[in-house]
Amino acid sequence: MRELSGQNSWENPERLVSRLVAQLSHQVLWDSLLCFSPPLLVFIYMAGYLYHGAWVGPLAALLVTLVSIGMGILVVTFRYRPLVPSVAKASRLVDEHTGAKDRFLTLATIDPSRSPAALVARLRAETAGFLDRIELRRDFPYHVKNSSYASLIGSALALLLFHLLLPVAHSTLTSLPAPQRLREVAEKMAARPRLLEITRSLQTLAAKLEDPRVAREERRALIEETQKKVGEQQKKEEQKDDRDLLGQAASTLKDLEQQSGAGQDRQKNNEKGGGGMQSNLPQEGQGKGKPSPGGGGEQKGEMSAQLSKDMQQGKTAQGDPKEQSGEKNSPKQGDGKSNQPDPNRPDPNKPGMEKGKDSAGKTQGGGDDKGGRGKASEEIPHGTPPADRFHQAGEQGREGIKGARYVTVQLPEEMAAETKGEKGGNKDAKGNRVGSKVPVSNVPLPAHVPDAPTETQQMPLEYRGIIR
Amino acid sequence: MEPEKFQELFHRLESEVSKVIVGHDDVIRKVLIAFFAGGHVLLEGVPGLGKTLLVKSLSQVLGMSFKRIQFTPDLMPSDIVGTQVLAESDGRREFQFKKGPIFAHVVLADEINRATPKTQSAVLEAMEEKQVTVFGESYALESPFMVLATQNPIELEGTYPLPEAQLDRFFFKLLVAPPSPAELKEILQRTTGAESADVSRVLSADGVELLGGMNQLLRQVLIAPPIEDYVVRLIHATQPGSSNGDPAASPVKQYLRFGSSPRGAQSVILGAKGNALAEGRVHVSYEDVAKVVYPALRHRIILNFQAEAENVNADQILGALVKQVPRT
Repeated sequence: MRELSGQNSWENPERLVSRLVAQLSHQVLWDSLLCFSPPLLVFIYMAGYLYHGAWVGPLAALLVTLVSIGMGILVVTFRYRPLVPSVAKASRLVDEHTGAKDRFLTLATIDPSRSPAALVARLRAETAGFLDRIELRRDFPYHVKNSSYASLIGSALALLLFHLLLPVAHSTLTSLPAPQRLREVAEKMAARPRLLEITRSLQTLAAKLEDPRVAREERRALIEETQKKVGEQQKKEEQKDDRDLLGQAASTLKDLEQQSGAGQDRQKNNEKGGGGMQSNLPQEGQGKGKPSPGGGGEQKGEMSAQLSKDMQQGKTAQGDPKEQSGEKNSPKQGDGKSNQPDPNRPDPNKPGMEKGKDSAGKTQGGGDDKGGRGKASEEIPHGTPPADRFHQAGEQGREGIKGARYVTVQLPEEMAAETKGEKGGNKDAKGNRVGSKVPVSNVPLPAHVPDAPTETQQMPLEYRGIIR
Repeated sequence: MEPEKFQELFHRLESEVSKVIVGHDDVIRKVLIAFFAGGHVLLEGVPGLGKTLLVKSLSQVLGMSFKRIQFTPDLMPSDIVGTQVLAESDGRREFQFKKGPIFAHVVLADEINRATPKTQSAVLEAMEEKQVTVFGESYALESPFMVLATQNPIELEGTYPLPEAQLDRFFFKLLVAPPSPAELKEILQRTTGAESADVSRVLSADGVELLGGMNQLLRQVLIAPPIEDYVVRLIHATQPGSSNGDPAASPVKQYLRFGSSPRGAQSVILGAKGNALAEGRVHVSYEDVAKVVYPALRHRIILNFQAEAENVNADQILGALVKQVPRT
């Protein structure tokens, strides 16, 4: 306390109040800064992140940053100014700490020139006696306010949310058609002379992608070629902006490649299936699928999955009503219905399946019908399924079967048998292949893949009841 | 005058009056503050609490002239201020002004509410302007001049409640409360024994000049502008019509018909200054203001019918205001 007295001896009460005002003002400023800095930094970080990720241009990022800083300064100022303690408030604080009964307040706020000098001097002398009771750093320490902690936590959460939602936003934004994205990138690149070649390639690719006449193989080749060009240019490019643009292009092309690759994988998976069921449901990514070159008549180029004889009779396919409920989900071994292979299980009749594929392969290139159906199978079917698959009850089907409301499913062994039979030539008078007298699926037979694994395609649920 | 001397005199006056008045220390202090501030005091209390004795004792210790007027319904204004009487001197008859009891330093207006308004208003001019006018001629009253009026809160039949204008003339309205058991015992010991306590005169012959100096010193006491602002806010908060958005508005709007006049603010400031000097300080604190708000404003805020119906008094409303009006 002696040291404290010595420290305070040089100052008068008015100066003490001024010092307290300054100290409290600094504290309020710190409070405001700590409260508003985290969200401001988060905003700037977000802008920078979006800029580096090429989501926004440099101008937008700069604008957002500047606006954020400006808003931050405004908010800090608006919060800081009203909270800056007045001389009266500060002197009241001192009075409360020292028990001076508003002496500091009076001394700090009165106009000495308009007050009796004797009384002012007396008051100053009285007030100076209370200076020893206060030490500003000790009595008014700075504490971080709860609002600062709340701001920090809120900002961290916002940052976390930003990073969590960014992929969602990315997927939403990139859901634009690939050609359009390519065109957008190409437009940006057009302003850079060094990227003109890439720009043209991208524009060409976009046009090709939109052209339905272009074959998938050609598209894929074009994508790969453009990717190579972009990759090479990326390696050469030194400017950051150009690299970013090339990165965008590469990303879009990669997406395209993945889509086409996935389509190919799916098609391969379809091809791996032996005597499974064929469907004309829309299938993506068939660009790599081998197009049927035509020929083979109406039935050529398509896989005819045929029911067993029992199933053709409707007996087994529909099932005995009495048995259906009990046995529908529990096929018995040895039952006629259990002849239907489980598509999930590995097919033990792999050779048969291969034969079936062989037979499909043999159908290529023959006949008058120049692959109309084979070509159509490459296109993604839209709208309602073909009428010949879903006839109304009692309606005369194309193949002359009444009441056929099911698709045919050909088991591997049947396919093998059919293939053998075809060798003898099951053709009509015109030489066209005569199909079986059951409704058939219009999905073309997948291309033959030697040593392909067994089919893993799930049988659609809508057919299971019918088959069993 | 030095503040120390003021304080010393003040305490001597207090202690002398306390010799005959048991308890009521706060009332004695407030009466003295009002006296040094140049104001008048309205004392309200049931009969027998020593109101008259207090006033008489005060005049004795001050060494000032003292007159007592017992207000009755048939009291005439001329009975208070005086009148012209026909007098014969040197063989000539002429009207001479005969001063009434108002011409004294300390005037006790006992049971002031029992006189008619006409008579009450006769005191009005004397209290405010410290002069009386009789037959068109004004007569100045001696300084210091103080009216100590008493009124009885019961037995209101046949009384004439003081009009607001007259109430506003009083610096303080003090409530004289019944004594506590200990105080009552003390009163009995002092008054029923063989010895009787006498007060001695504190101020000497130059007491009038001294009182002038004390009055001047009181007005010089320092008051911080924020405290003045606080008083202004308090007074403003008593106005039912102008307290929009004020947190203190609800009791005021609900129970008050009229708020305090600017005289209320003057009374608060001067009373606070007097209190500060009495406590040996040369500056006013918020506590000084809080101590004098009730006696300075309780007779200046006019309650409405709802307040009377709900038995809400002025002190309750002022208490709410003091709590609600922010100091800074």
